[in-house]
Amino acid sequence: MQGFLDIFDIYLLEAVVNGILLGGVLALLALGLNLIFGVIDVTWICYAELVMIGMYGMYYMVQVFGLPYWVAAPFAILLVAALGAALHYIVIAPLLTAPPINQLLATGGVLFILQSFATVAFGIDFRNLGIRLPVLAIGEMHFSYSRLLAFAAALIGMLAIYFFMKRTYTGTAIRAVAQDRQIMSLMGVDTKRIYIITSALGGALAGLAACLLVLQYDVHPFVGLSFGPITFLICVLGGLGNFVGGFIAAFVFAQIISLGGLFSDLEWGYVLAFAFFIVMMFIRPAGLFARRS
Amino acid sequence: MPGHKAARLLVGLSAAIAALGMAVTAEAQEKKIKIGVIYDLTGPLAGGGSELQHIGAKIMLDQYAKTGVEGYKVEAVYADAQSKPDVAINEAVRLIEQEKVNMLLGFFSSAQCVPVAARVEQLKNFMWITTCISSAVLSDKNFKYVFRPQASGDQFGLMTTDFIAQNAKEKLGKEPKDLRVAIIHEDGAYGVDVSKGNEAGAKKAGFNIVLKEGYAATAPDLSSLVTKLKRARPDVIFHTGYNPDITLFGRQAREQGLKFAALVGHGAGYGVYEKLKEGLGGDVNYVFNADPISIWASNEKGLNPKLPPVIKMVGDEFDKVKPGVAIRSAHVGMAASNTYVFLTEVLPRAIKKHGGVDPDALRKAALEVDIPEGGTMLGFGVKFFGEGNQMAGQNERSFPVVIQYVDDKSYVVWPKSQAQREAVLPLPKGTTFSNQ
Repeated sequence: MQGFLDIFDIYLLEAVVNGILLGGVLALLALGLNLIFGVIDVTWICYAELVMIGMYGMYYMVQVFGLPYWVAAPFAILLVAALGAALHYIVIAPLLTAPPINQLLATGGVLFILQSFATVAFGIDFRNLGIRLPVLAIGEMHFSYSRLLAFAAALIGMLAIYFFMKRTYTGTAIRAVAQDRQIMSLMGVDTKRIYIITSALGGALAGLAACLLVLQYDVHPFVGLSFGPITFLICVLGGLGNFVGGFIAAFVFAQIISLGGLFSDLEWGYVLAFAFFIVMMFIRPAGLFARRS
Repeated sequence: MPGHKAARLLVGLSAAIAALGMAVTAEAQEKKIKIGVIYDLTGPLAGGGSELQHIGAKIMLDQYAKTGVEGYKVEAVYADAQSKPDVAINEAVRLIEQEKVNMLLGFFSSAQCVPVAARVEQLKNFMWITTCISSAVLSDKNFKYVFRPQASGDQFGLMTTDFIAQNAKEKLGKEPKDLRVAIIHEDGAYGVDVSKGNEAGAKKAGFNIVLKEGYAATAPDLSSLVTKLKRARPDVIFHTGYNPDITLFGRQAREQGLKFAALVGHGAGYGVYEKLKEGLGGDVNYVFNADPISIWASNEKGLNPKLPPVIKMVGDEFDKVKPGVAIRSAHVGMAASNTYVFLTEVLPRAIKKHGGVDPDALRKAALEVDIPEGGTMLGFGVKFFGEGNQMAGQNERSFPVVIQYVDDKSYVVWPKSQAQREAVLPLPKGTTFSNQ
């Protein structure tokens, strides 16, 4: 009994809080991907690679051109927003009526193009922003400000998207197109414009994620491999297209990884998280918080 | 007129036959060895040290491409394993079957080496491993055509635990049995093998192993591992990883307030100082790393006199490729030295004594190599375990050393015979991770 009680120590609490903070990082990544799918019905397999380009943008602006972090961040967000809009215009728009597998393959192709482009343009070296944020220490527990920032940004980002969707004309139009794109175009809504705006918004969220991830991770052409699959799983778990669902799923997933890793080997945390995902796919194939059709 | 035409035809035909004959003669005269060279030039392993290995091997191959060996031209065909075992296998097979290389050289990742070695052996080609260290590549395989002059992974693990055991009382003020150690590693063939060496060494020394755990090198978060380490309170952490998992661990360890007396790495990512410094800043100071000695740190007095000029040449050529590097990575010299051993010891013997460069001639020549300690740029000698031995193909005379990074310089601190300075142990007070 005492052995069992021993696990309820300060480190358990630290693991729980770290799980919440990791959830913030994952939620931030899932937000943009869900927005795109919710409105355009296309999954950007290359989403994490857009984040990677944004991270490189931050690296070059801060390390090479000497811009302060806070000045560089808006530019990086704009850069990836423009990239998102361009991705839609060049790759997605011609395939809007194509079968989903074609769209998946096309964005999968973009993934490899972006990875190869980054390898050629930026080289294979790991790049580091060189910014070391302070640490918040509460007793024996320590928390990274970079993760706290990511958590806050994810929260603010989700609220901002929520109010944008609910309270603005463009947001209402986006939601309307998400519900029925054919009818909305018959009613005079410029769906092409809505798609471009949504793609730019999704790109901007990827850019925001890039600005925060670059404080925690080295940048290299394959950094997307660490996040891409897990982000995709979170979106599916939350119900593809449901950004509130994705937000909550990110925290569920992160807690399983964190606590599973604390009580067993780190790898078991991931095994448990993926097992949970598979079980949930049997129980709720459309995700924990699937949209009503 | 028809006679004239026939005469022209005859002349043309004769010229064609003569040209063909000359070509055949030239072909017969041009003796060459075609070497397939495989490292990771893209993907996460490239920046983790594989590209540096490629540079080291290429410097040496380029030198011998100019001079040739015993009348044989040396031609290298380079391929990129893209940090993926399946690509490494495909490239190895492509080089053997389509490019018709006489042998393969290189390989950074043990995860690639294990399957590639089996495939190359199956194809009865010759494989000269410059880098990957996992014992699983050769252990109990009894390969005939696979050779590795490099030290094996368990030797790395045993060397570092021996270093800590020998210094526990004097430097850390604890008997080995009272020393709390943690062994963490990436979960590929390389990390697992080194950790086995760590575990065996720790048990031999009587350390108290408070945590032993593997993780995926691509894991996006290691905070749970750091929390467990905080709970376990190890004095010494033995870590085996690539990069960027090493910098992720270091960063999260700092952020979560992990404290210890020593961090001991084992090659790969720990061998690329520039990247460690970029990722961890000043926290890399006093970190230990086990690797074959950097050829630029070798004790010249103990080396064969013909080697120092070669070491200088490798350094000069490397500086042309990567100017302004603070510490030339041991990776470069490792590949250069092991390639040099092949080009100066195995290849000439195969040509002169065994009649050519076919896999059997190369194999016989490799088995006859007998270099005493100090005979290679890495300081160790070369003698391969032969058929029937559990580690057939492994160099029985190789050994790594333990170095320590101190103020942007690396120093050999163990074994004592090679040491350039006393180890700074434990971490000085006031440093980020110091538990004092």
